[in-house]
Amino acid sequence: MFLINCPYCGERDQSEFSAGGEAHIVRPKQPTELSDDQWAEFLFMRKNIKGVQLERWNHAHGCRKWFNMVRDTSNDKIHAVYKMGEKPPLK
Amino acid sequence: MLNFNTPIIDTKEYSEIKISEIEPILKINLRGKSRDFVTKIGKELSIITPVDPNTSSSNEKFNLLWLSPDEWFLYSNDKIGIKDANFLENKLFNEISKVKLGSVTNVSDHWIMINLRGAKIFELLSAGCPFNFNNFKNSKGAVTQTLINHIDVIIHNKNVNDLNLFVRRSFSAHLWSWMNDSARFI
Repeated sequence: MFLINCPYCGERDQSEFSAGGEAHIVRPKQPTELSDDQWAEFLFMRKNIKGVQLERWNHAHGCRKWFNMVRDTSNDKIHAVYKMGEKPPLK
Repeated sequence: MLNFNTPIIDTKEYSEIKISEIEPILKINLRGKSRDFVTKIGKELSIITPVDPNTSSSNEKFNLLWLSPDEWFLYSNDKIGIKDANFLENKLFNEISKVKLGSVTNVSDHWIMINLRGAKIFELLSAGCPFNFNNFKNSKGAVTQTLINHIDVIIHNKNVNDLNLFVRRSFSAHLWSWMNDSARFI
């Protein structure tokens, strides 16, 4: 269990949130022109790294807003939280 | 169409805790992003629209709760008849939804309002809630959306040791049972 600082509501328990996976994956502009492998790469393949990762989270049981987070997956340390549409903070 | 059905209709008292369902209460969900929308709500309801997170504003008739940057929850202070509820809903619908400023949804039958009073209400809630009530209980008008016993709720701190809690109708009987069961051990 850990605390997450929602950019809208403030600090809340992790149980109020749901994880949305890796952030900043750009949707292809012309999906119809992609091969099945390329489309599968976009849809399913994630880095799933051990270490600092940019992630999407949703405050599902609070304001229900999506936001981004910089989290170390090895120890759950949260380095930064930023709103959707904002650029990730420099490392 | 409103029918103000309620699954509870009850009041229970324990040591320094009183739990009662208050219905029928008008509840309207308001969603919009523009500044005009925020201004319009304030004008139509004669109330200041709360734009700070986890806050609310009130007047003689209504309470307006901040739910998210583009969502508010309006509920009446007192019990209200269907005629008055429909009048206000139509008024807001014509002034906001029809002109595409935002959306107005009557959620009176979607949420159940439970009033909690007494010195030990925060102990009761903390028994099944991950939210830290330390600052909340001293802030009159504070609002939070959280989980109680894994059930989504909206909590409005009306006054000292006086809360209004909103729970979805389908979960209300379960939450009611849980609160009554927990209150016996506090």
